[in-house]
Amino acid sequence: MKPLEAIGLLFALLTATTVLGLLWRARQGRVSRVTGDIVTPADVATTTAFGPAATLLQFSTELCARCPGTRRLLGTVADSRPGVVHVDVDLTHRADLAKRYSILQTPTTLILDGAGRVRARVGGPPNRADISATLDAIAQNTATRTLTTTPGSSHVDR
Amino acid sequence: MSTAETSTAKAATAPTGRRPPLDPRGPRFGAAITAVLLLAVVFLSLTGESAAALALLAAITALFAWGALAGAGRHPYGLVFKRFVRPRLAPPTELEDAAPPTFAQAVGLAVCLVGLVLGLAGVPGSIGIAAAAAFVAAFLNAVFDYCLGCQIFLLLVRFGVLNRGGRPARQA
Repeated sequence: MKPLEAIGLLFALLTATTVLGLLWRARQGRVSRVTGDIVTPADVATTTAFGPAATLLQFSTELCARCPGTRRLLGTVADSRPGVVHVDVDLTHRADLAKRYSILQTPTTLILDGAGRVRARVGGPPNRADISATLDAIAQNTATRTLTTTPGSSHVDR
Repeated sequence: MSTAETSTAKAATAPTGRRPPLDPRGPRFGAAITAVLLLAVVFLSLTGESAAALALLAAITALFAWGALAGAGRHPYGLVFKRFVRPRLAPPTELEDAAPPTFAQAVGLAVCLVGLVLGLAGVPGSIGIAAAAAFVAAFLNAVFDYCLGCQIFLLLVRFGVLNRGGRPARQA
């Protein structure tokens, strides 16, 4: 192959890799609101009780560059909000949990509401503002639900 | 995959390995140099300079082996970074565990070794393809802080390659 053609191919490789990187980075830390199943502490083999307001359920492995930073960030967020608990689950010896919760990258964080139902999912290192906004939305949801169900009714929202 | 085994054999609780933590910019600096060299291998193999491509890929493979065995912190590029680059930068905002970049070195070693062996066996294009694949990982690592080692490790966990037997007591 002539050098000029080879340089053209190298340029194509460089461009494709850059596009790949930009796409990957745009997805990192994005909070997607979902409504999933109810998760209990026993499901993820932890003895830590989940938060009465919300739980930040982080999945990590031993070999994960961004997990310690995420652990610190989520820990700080949980400490600054009453009723919010942070739980970090190490998947290294629990392939079953990785499959069950479809963990394709670490860290992945599930945000659970007070009932333990999955309300949001974050792949990659989260950012503080988005996590706080999601927790606010969950708190608001819970508040309106309590308001509409509490007066004079024995209905339990479950 | 002896690197994987030794790194998982350590205590399951502590995120800190036996190697001292690193400035995360060090491995990225090294990955940038590696990416440029790998691009040169692709160029050489595309222009038919097979012997030169093979020799350069062999040198890169040896450097990967060094990083995988001695740890990312003691890689030659890491030492260059510590000696010449880091003093010119602001202090790092946080240090990083050395295990993920060291594992990434092992992954790079595996990819380059496959290319080398196939190239020596006379499979056409294998040097260039292996170099291109390793380039993608090194470039993403250097420019976007992508951790291929972390991703591969999770995949190995999911496929049950690691820790098939043991299921130790859980911690929170």
